[in-house]
Amino acid sequence: MSLRSSFAEAAGRSSYWFLHTFMNGGSSLPGKLTLKLDPNILQAFSKKYDLVIVTGTNGKTLTTSLSVRVLREKYDQVLTNPTGSNMEQGIVTTFITAPRPKKKGLAVLEVDEANVVKVTKYITPIAFIFTNIFRDQMDRYGEIYTTYKKILNGVKLAPKATIIANGDEQLFNSQDLPNPIIYYGFNHEHHEPFDAPANTDGLLCPKCQHILKYRMRTYANLGDYFCPHCGFKRPKLTYAVTKLDQLTPTSSTFELDGEKYKIGIGGLYNIYNALAAYALGRFLGVSQAQIKDAFESDERVFGRQEVINVDGKEVTLILVKNPVGLNQVLDMIETDPQPFSFAFLLNANYADGIDTSWIWDGNFEKLVKHEIPQYMTGGERYKDITTRLIMAGVDKMWHEPDLTHVIAKIKEMPTKHVYILATYTAVLQLRKQLAEKGYIKGGMD
Amino acid sequence: MPKYHLNLAHLYGNLLNTYSDVGNIIALQYYAKQMDADISVKVISIGQEFNPDEFDLALFGGGQDYEQFVVSKDLPNKKAGIKKFIDNQKPLLAICGGYQLLGQYYIGANGERIPGLSILPHYTLSQDHNRFIGNITIKNEQTGDEYHGFENHNGMTFLGKGERPLGKVISGHGNNGQDKTEGAIFKEVYCSYFHGPILTRNGEIAKHLLLAALHNKYPEEDFSKQEQLTIKPTF
Repeated sequence: MSLRSSFAEAAGRSSYWFLHTFMNGGSSLPGKLTLKLDPNILQAFSKKYDLVIVTGTNGKTLTTSLSVRVLREKYDQVLTNPTGSNMEQGIVTTFITAPRPKKKGLAVLEVDEANVVKVTKYITPIAFIFTNIFRDQMDRYGEIYTTYKKILNGVKLAPKATIIANGDEQLFNSQDLPNPIIYYGFNHEHHEPFDAPANTDGLLCPKCQHILKYRMRTYANLGDYFCPHCGFKRPKLTYAVTKLDQLTPTSSTFELDGEKYKIGIGGLYNIYNALAAYALGRFLGVSQAQIKDAFESDERVFGRQEVINVDGKEVTLILVKNPVGLNQVLDMIETDPQPFSFAFLLNANYADGIDTSWIWDGNFEKLVKHEIPQYMTGGERYKDITTRLIMAGVDKMWHEPDLTHVIAKIKEMPTKHVYILATYTAVLQLRKQLAEKGYIKGGMD
Repeated sequence: MPKYHLNLAHLYGNLLNTYSDVGNIIALQYYAKQMDADISVKVISIGQEFNPDEFDLALFGGGQDYEQFVVSKDLPNKKAGIKKFIDNQKPLLAICGGYQLLGQYYIGANGERIPGLSILPHYTLSQDHNRFIGNITIKNEQTGDEYHGFENHNGMTFLGKGERPLGKVISGHGNNGQDKTEGAIFKEVYCSYFHGPILTRNGEIAKHLLLAALHNKYPEEDFSKQEQLTIKPTF
């Protein structure tokens, strides 16, 4: 490590210590300070760690935490970054505040799509995991092709790193890359060729610009796609979901390459995350038995979706931020055999996305078919989500623009199960309330 | 069973669906129900024929650059049909990319000039490294209605002869950030850059389009009750 890097790292470390000791937090500022003193600081860690980068629109956080869990079955120490610290500054903080590894360590980092290049510029990873690319908050991110290009800008600097990609995502098969590529995906069903629903993004064949067809579709544009015009099709999968057994809002059992696995979280999209972690584990030599243990060990890895007990109500608070994620969440809560109440808290601050249009792509119409005795809308933009639900055919709705009243309303809900979908700042605000009232420990991790 | 039935063509609905345009269909169906009508939706995409006589209403949405470019190459095959549809005073709602493609041309992401249908006279230039993003309010100077939405576009559209703006910009950028116009009205074609999506927030436009379609399809019927429909606040 150069003198400058050492000095910058020391400065960053002490600012982190100061912030944590006296200011109760701070994960990007130390990185920012360190980068100011030495813009090349990441280079100093390139020889100390083997790096795996997890990127894509949805599922970065859970794929990363599951991967870490899987790899800890084999490796003594695996460094990772806390949720949300997936930009350059947060990544620098992660490295400078980690205990110094005695031998070469392993790091699995979730990296924001546009920040991949900022990391690979200094550290050549041994592998990438690509989860998926969906339309995200468009006022900030732009289109799916642009997003993939941003990722590839970073990949170009690491042409030997193995890419472990979602084979059900056609974009990941659209460019010829020098890298070795391993594909994972779903191989549990085969049907006669059919069309995806019209309101789906990314249905064009990247080779000949005709509409793709499917023999199996999991959700959005993911699945066993092929182009009837030019023959472009899903690549051969190395690791696959071969069977779905039981899906509930709190657990999923399924088979990977013919072996049974269980994870303590609902949602088809989370099975993709587990599959990605499994693929990375297998790639790095973790055994199937070890992976099974890692999935089933009972730690709170699924932080974004825990069930909160509010005076007897089982409240599931779920972050929603884009249409594909929203529809996956709606699919998941639909698997609850019990009647439930449903709330949606919509804010439109910068971190939520200031354009609320995406709620119209949510298939709320499907909720009306279920036994949901009470709905509630809240947040600064409660009127927009109220209109959405009214046009979906919902009546029996409470409105609570002020999030400080939401907890009292939850207690009045007529069902034991309550699902609260909320945008980013609404989740933060509600968690703060829940923490103040002692229902959770606080913070968001 | 509703008394009236309308057929809606969702032009390139599987390619131009980026800006939650499906919300416009949901809103049309919602208000149609209150007018004793229902709506069937059919997606007409690349390689498929558009028969104007089959439809009473049409929606032409916006998409990503790549999809819009692919659509622009297919459009000449549908030009005669779309022109006839418009000339027959049938209502068409065009948003963002659909709006641009009805006009003479627009400038693509790499600076290339992409020809449109040239059925409406406007044209669209591009801004360098800038987009008009944010909430927008306009006023329809004919009806006095205020419309609210969210805009997010790089294109700068300039209206031509025979079309008037959908509204005058009260706050936001509008068509081009210069002349205080937003959107366009040409015969029964309503164009806009609004997301929201536009009809979910601005029921008055949905009501107008539905009435135009109903009068067109059922010229002998009395729709005075439908004309009275009150639009409740939506946002």
